[in-house]
Amino acid sequence: MDANEPEEEFGFSRNYFLAKESRGSKKKSAQKISDIDLVDEQELRDSAARIVTKHEKEIISLTNSYKSLYTKWAFELRCGFGLLMYGFGSKKSLIEDFASSALTDYAVIVINGYLQSINLKHVVIAMAEVLWDQLKTKRKTSTGNLCKTKPPFSSQSMEDGLAFLDESQANESDCIVCVVVHNIDGPGLRESQQHLARIASCSHVRMVASIDHVNAPLLWDKKMVHTQFNWCWYHVPTFSPYNIEGVFFPLILAYGGTTQNAKTATIVLQSLTPNAQSVFKVLAEYQLSHSDEEGMPINNLYSICRERFLVSSQVTLNSHLTEFKDHELVKTRRHSDGQDCYYIPLSPEALEKLIQEIG
Amino acid sequence: MSSSSPSSPSSPLKISDTTENNLQPFYVLHKAFPKKPDRKTRKKIEFSPTSDTHHHYDELRVEAFELVWSKIDARIKGVLTDINTNVFDEIHQWVCESFGAIRSLGVPSSLEVNRSYPLVTDITSSCSRRIFTGLVFTKNVEFVDDLLTFKELGVHLKSNGCHVVNMSSLDFLSKNGIGGCVRSVLRQLVGVSVDVGDIGILAAWYSEIENFESPIVVIIDDVERCSESVLAEFVLMLSEWVVKLPIVLVMGVSSFAKIVNAPRDLLPFGVLQHLNPCKFTLGSPTAILDGIIESLFVKSYCGFDISYKVMVLMKNYFVRHDGTVTSFIRALKIACTKHFLMEPLSFLSKGILDEDNESFWIEKCGGLPESMLKYAFDLPSCEISDEISLTGESLARDLSEIMKMRKNWSSVFMCLYEAAKFHNVQLLEILCEALNPDSYNLRVSSNRQSGVGELYSVDQKGSQIYLAIRKVRDLSFSALSRLVQFWKNHSERIAEIHCQVIELESMLNSEHENKSLKLDETKKSRISASRTREKNTTKANEKAATLLEFMVKEYLKPVECAQFHEIVCFKHVGVLQSSLIGDPRKIIQVDLLKSHNYLHCSCCSKSGDVLLPSMHDTSIMYTLVQEHGDLINLHDWYQSFKTNICRPSTKGKRKIQSPLSKKRKELSESEVMSEASIQARFCRAVIELQITGLLRMPSKRRPDYVQRVAFGL
Repeated sequence: MDANEPEEEFGFSRNYFLAKESRGSKKKSAQKISDIDLVDEQELRDSAARIVTKHEKEIISLTNSYKSLYTKWAFELRCGFGLLMYGFGSKKSLIEDFASSALTDYAVIVINGYLQSINLKHVVIAMAEVLWDQLKTKRKTSTGNLCKTKPPFSSQSMEDGLAFLDESQANESDCIVCVVVHNIDGPGLRESQQHLARIASCSHVRMVASIDHVNAPLLWDKKMVHTQFNWCWYHVPTFSPYNIEGVFFPLILAYGGTTQNAKTATIVLQSLTPNAQSVFKVLAEYQLSHSDEEGMPINNLYSICRERFLVSSQVTLNSHLTEFKDHELVKTRRHSDGQDCYYIPLSPEALEKLIQEIG
Repeated sequence: MSSSSPSSPSSPLKISDTTENNLQPFYVLHKAFPKKPDRKTRKKIEFSPTSDTHHHYDELRVEAFELVWSKIDARIKGVLTDINTNVFDEIHQWVCESFGAIRSLGVPSSLEVNRSYPLVTDITSSCSRRIFTGLVFTKNVEFVDDLLTFKELGVHLKSNGCHVVNMSSLDFLSKNGIGGCVRSVLRQLVGVSVDVGDIGILAAWYSEIENFESPIVVIIDDVERCSESVLAEFVLMLSEWVVKLPIVLVMGVSSFAKIVNAPRDLLPFGVLQHLNPCKFTLGSPTAILDGIIESLFVKSYCGFDISYKVMVLMKNYFVRHDGTVTSFIRALKIACTKHFLMEPLSFLSKGILDEDNESFWIEKCGGLPESMLKYAFDLPSCEISDEISLTGESLARDLSEIMKMRKNWSSVFMCLYEAAKFHNVQLLEILCEALNPDSYNLRVSSNRQSGVGELYSVDQKGSQIYLAIRKVRDLSFSALSRLVQFWKNHSERIAEIHCQVIELESMLNSEHENKSLKLDETKKSRISASRTREKNTTKANEKAATLLEFMVKEYLKPVECAQFHEIVCFKHVGVLQSSLIGDPRKIIQVDLLKSHNYLHCSCCSKSGDVLLPSMHDTSIMYTLVQEHGDLINLHDWYQSFKTNICRPSTKGKRKIQSPLSKKRKELSESEVMSEASIQARFCRAVIELQITGLLRMPSKRRPDYVQRVAFGL
């Protein structure tokens, strides 16, 4: 591996400059997306939902070929490694199939990292509860009586949950909670790698994760890689379509990929807290009843939300709004009187449907 | 082809079953199923030898792995403890002295203790408000290795009665502020989780009678990564409380400059005044690694070996890639796991750790089923061709032989390494050479050709072993005697060598006596005396060098030169490398560019580099990307994609000698392929490339272009 390293590096830089150069030398193509005879967005979405997978048979047999590795994977998990699956194609069903068939001794919790917002505190507490159940059953069968009925961690604190998952008692070391993280490099988890690493390093936890992004390893420092995640890499390309993982990405040919459709908005909203949903509803209702205005001024929004006890301070409201903006649920524009106001980039019909769905 | 077949749509059926779960941030897939008692299954296996044999041997391998790894793990821990003991004791002593010094300033009265604010008495002078701070120089840019050391230090101090808090840079984040670190201290010492970090709670806890007699040690393992302002605030706060709360800080610092000049980069001057530093030094990573390797592969045999190539990979990984002992140990564990997973007979390694290993092997090898025996005799290293000799006993005999050979190798290697130390040779370097079967074979063959004394051909003269032997010729008298003494202790198990070492020793001794006699006679000219001495030592040196050469030639036989070594030696360097360091950036691109290599479909496999419409859409798209510069015009890209997927597969046609009906069908289907479906497929391929991170999406400035991210593999 070492002899050709400098050569590889040279190749990289050469390719990069060649690519740059070819932009300069050839005349840059000035064609626009709009020159393509774009079909209606709804039609595009319908067609996208009907795309036939090529080589379905081969994909199935490729995925099935990994079944022979299941026992190895399970053994490596047992040895304290984490499994990291990479390679092109959705690995969701592969990993879930592995977990359902080879990890029956462990409880398994699945985190869908491709979703936009994931609250790891809730995950940790759910894991601690599952482990608590497991320990309770074990103690009941081994000693014949139930010890404590109350779990030794509060349902509010992530630290308590982590401490409980990391408790090491020799006779209980085989009680394991396995956490499957689809797209550990997904947008909702990119900021949470420290927490994920801490979860993975707990003595009662084993992690199986998948990455799809070519630069995913940059998310981790050496402490995480060597002492916490302790990855054992596996290259398992499946070539299965990223059906669910791709839901949140805009279609590039739908108005240049800028607009959100009601369906994606619903999904994003459903993953937010009830309070955030209600704040969104306030904004949506305002927009429907004042369809001629540019949007809702923030002061207005704040006072209504406060009246309804949805937010206690401007800071909380801002954090909700930032989240909406990040997911492109709302946008801002300058009101004629100079004030910033918020609006939802959806048609009134789509908006009405959306409110019904989240309601 | 399949794109035009009317098969079921992608896999929406599967997904719709669990749509609910797919959109949950997380969910419980299943809970642990109650385990069946192990004993029963094992009994069952013993009684049904045919179907469950494999399972039985799987279990044996798992057991063997657990035994071997626990042995390796214990040895690693032993080495780390040995290396750290001295500095840990030193730190403990300093903590005790510091505690004494704080207490000498005065013990707060019970009334004062109960007040929830710091003690303000006449001792407001700056010297009394200084915190004793141990700066532990880790000699290591990477702090990963030190995490465990600091944890162990915590355990050590705790066992000596101190209150210990282990903190890391995560407790000193600027977003959590000082509250974050106080909360962490409270959680670890008092055992409470509070929303507001109040140091008063700690003071109240400390004033309790059972806590009052010991110092509080706060260990921060990677102080350079802490937020400067939070750390400064923490130090200032502690200095206010120092009399009431005798806190001693221990900080891990990686840069020597920071220790010498006081950690000026870490803290502002005003805060530094409150520190009373003391310096300690940990062992360097290379020293620790040498200790570990010596203990695992040289001094004794723990039932698991790695081949030359694997050792070279691990050496390069340590030297060039990572530099942390932690990663080296991790690589070793992966290698060990893989070995017991991949090698069906690896359970026999257990015999190495068994006291009566010969009878263990005879029993186990005798009971091996036919298929496994055949497997053993099909191993590449097996040289037995005679059918009659293919028995369990011969396998057992060979395993004992491996063990004997391996022990001899160890003894001789220790002797060699001791000599090489005079030449400042790195353990890993010389170890790799000693493990290399090729250089062993070369040594043996060149020896045959040119007779004794010419162990090395010209092109091998740069070898570490050769240099070590040559160095022995130049050793001084005292160094040589030390070396011979070492050889004497380590050659006991090889009688042949031991005799020669004793001869050498007596030769040295007699020379020594002669020399002292001559010195007594003295008065003879000094020059002639020293000449004689030189001459004599040269004779002894010559003998020592010849002896070392002999040892190397006869006994430094790498394990890979033995029959059946695959059973105890891990050789799959590629497997280790791919599990250790995934290379998603390269490999995901290869997946896309060579999709037919994985899918093995009949339609695209023979295409070579030509794009076929039947190929995976994203594959086609990414192959098209290669033709562009760093910017890709979406319109052009779409058009070429469209051309590619709408083109009837010429190659396929030629091959099938197309029946007319089929041809017509293909053509009509490609015509039917609606614009909407092509656009949808284009969009989905773009999304998939976006998920892999190989594309950057259009920006406001360049709405019609996507940008390439990777250039070349």
